[in-house]
Amino acid sequence: MTELFHERLQRHLREMAKYLRLVFNDFFVFALLFFLGGLGLGYSNILKHLKADQWWAPFVALLILAITAQIGRYATLIEDADRVFLLPKERAMHAYFVQARKYSLVLAEIVQVIVMFILTPFLRVALGWSLMEVILLLIAQLVLKDALLRLDIASAYQVTGQRRMNHWSLKWLISLVVLVPGLWLTPFLSFVLILFIDVFSWLWLEERWPKQQIRWREQIKIEDNRMLGIYRFFNLFTEVPMVAGTIKRRRYLDGILRLVKPTHSQTYLYLYSRGMLRGTEFSGLVVRLTVIGMLLLYFVRGQWLPIFLAALFIYLIGFQLLPFFQQYDDVVFTHVYPLTEQQQVKSFVKLVTLILAVAAALLWVIILIANPTVETAGGSLVVELIEVWYLARIYTPQRLARAIKNRG
Amino acid sequence: MALEVSHVVGGYSQIPVLKDISFDVQDGELVGLIGLNGAGKSTTINHVIGLLTPHKGTITLNGVTITQDSQAYKQQIAYIPETPVLYQELTLREHLELTMMAYDLDHEAAWVTAHDLLKTFRLDNKLDWFPANFSKGMKQKVMIVCAFLTQAKLFIIDEPFLGLDPLAVNDLLQLIEKRKQEGASILMSTHVLDTAQRYCDRFVLLHDGQVKTEGTLSELQAALPEAGESLNDIYLSMTKVDRS
Repeated sequence: MTELFHERLQRHLREMAKYLRLVFNDFFVFALLFFLGGLGLGYSNILKHLKADQWWAPFVALLILAITAQIGRYATLIEDADRVFLLPKERAMHAYFVQARKYSLVLAEIVQVIVMFILTPFLRVALGWSLMEVILLLIAQLVLKDALLRLDIASAYQVTGQRRMNHWSLKWLISLVVLVPGLWLTPFLSFVLILFIDVFSWLWLEERWPKQQIRWREQIKIEDNRMLGIYRFFNLFTEVPMVAGTIKRRRYLDGILRLVKPTHSQTYLYLYSRGMLRGTEFSGLVVRLTVIGMLLLYFVRGQWLPIFLAALFIYLIGFQLLPFFQQYDDVVFTHVYPLTEQQQVKSFVKLVTLILAVAAALLWVIILIANPTVETAGGSLVVELIEVWYLARIYTPQRLARAIKNRG
Repeated sequence: MALEVSHVVGGYSQIPVLKDISFDVQDGELVGLIGLNGAGKSTTINHVIGLLTPHKGTITLNGVTITQDSQAYKQQIAYIPETPVLYQELTLREHLELTMMAYDLDHEAAWVTAHDLLKTFRLDNKLDWFPANFSKGMKQKVMIVCAFLTQAKLFIIDEPFLGLDPLAVNDLLQLIEKRKQEGASILMSTHVLDTAQRYCDRFVLLHDGQVKTEGTLSELQAALPEAGESLNDIYLSMTKVDRS
């Protein structure tokens, strides 16, 4: 079992390395260095002007440490098939879980150390602590993370019936109970408290787990969610095949959807409009780009820059929408229904026109607020109108014709 | 003559899976497409529904081929796939509505039929559900309801009996019978041979991309007299001949 985990860990690390290489490309590293440099400079400036014994300092430290304690999730790397194939090995799975926890713990403790390291000058200046006190708190923080990850391993079993031990409220409660006396009274108290909690939870778990079943389904779901979170992050930088959008009912949008008349020629629009509004993948893309564009336009001043930016964002949105055309290609009925490709293209063009028009209108309103001159507002209106018309009515059908041809 | 498949050579790639197959389905007839895994049943069906284009040969449905008028051709077909596929973003109600729109049905009349069907398959209280919340059997029932909502002349049903509860199988067979009475044709592929034997009017036995035999049960019995009485025996003997 230990071996199984190490095999999986290697595979996992290889995969992560592959994506991390793509994430930390030269450009991103450069930007990140600038960003961190700026932050560091700001932090050291704040420290210089900080006076000792501020009443708010413990609150800041508490918030940072409590949040940091929640960072670093329990990575089990278990897979859906495990609940079938490893079920006969359920008792032996404990060794696997222990290995997994070890790995998660190392990662999480590295984060704790880094944050404590950054926080040290603040604690020494604002709270007037000695180095000994800081080290005591660091140890308390490390043991705290150890205890929190023990809750995660405990909740892999049905030790407490339906209740899960790794609920965020319990983790926060423990973090606060441990950190508050330490920050306001003395870190020695934190140290004693968490040592007690950790040892107690360890004894309690050792006594309980051998008599309990593993919650396979929940554990698999948690791991899937964890991986999905990681993939989502990577998806911001590069294409990740494992990220598929989710679907939300969004009943409040039914009013808009009802505007599509249920007639034969509107069949595809009926389908596309629902897919667009209820799927998170493409709607999220459109909303993100529109909001970023609006924010940018709100802060940008100038005569031509807003016009250019608005045009750029409309182009980005329109361009990213194109793959949505093929969204239903793998549903056989899209091909079996007595509908023509012309109807499909027409409906799609209508959808793109609508989305771009709404986005363009929103961007234009912001331009009107931020840069209310005749040239900028008028100019951007003209440019946007032409662009929406060209993108939706000329460019999109051309590209779709090519896509249909490739479909064979 | 409803469906006529004539000398079709075809498959997914350049290598043909179907080697010159011909058969037909008459009006008001239920034809069973029988064959082992990989015999070419699904490939045949994919050709008939227009997902694949034959390399050679023609498929005619009431005088129309798909290349002549794809809309007129597809209008006559309703398809129930083996593995249910649904649009993830549409509720059950919207699936039905989409089907009505796609086949250009009269909505009021279609909803009357729909409610009957939903009641039969015990889905009438799940109209606002998403496909993600349906079990496999329920999804299959949704496929059946959508297909029988249409006034198609040819129903193509790919392995309908696996995954359905006995009550639903019975209801489906009744539905098929009713549509047959109204003159619709049905092409059905299946492995459940005793059910096929009881309900199909004729059989097309596919083996290795070729039509081994076809005909009614008595015709098959006459052709292979030593094989045995039931469709099961005939089918097994047919595959045995090939294995030796």
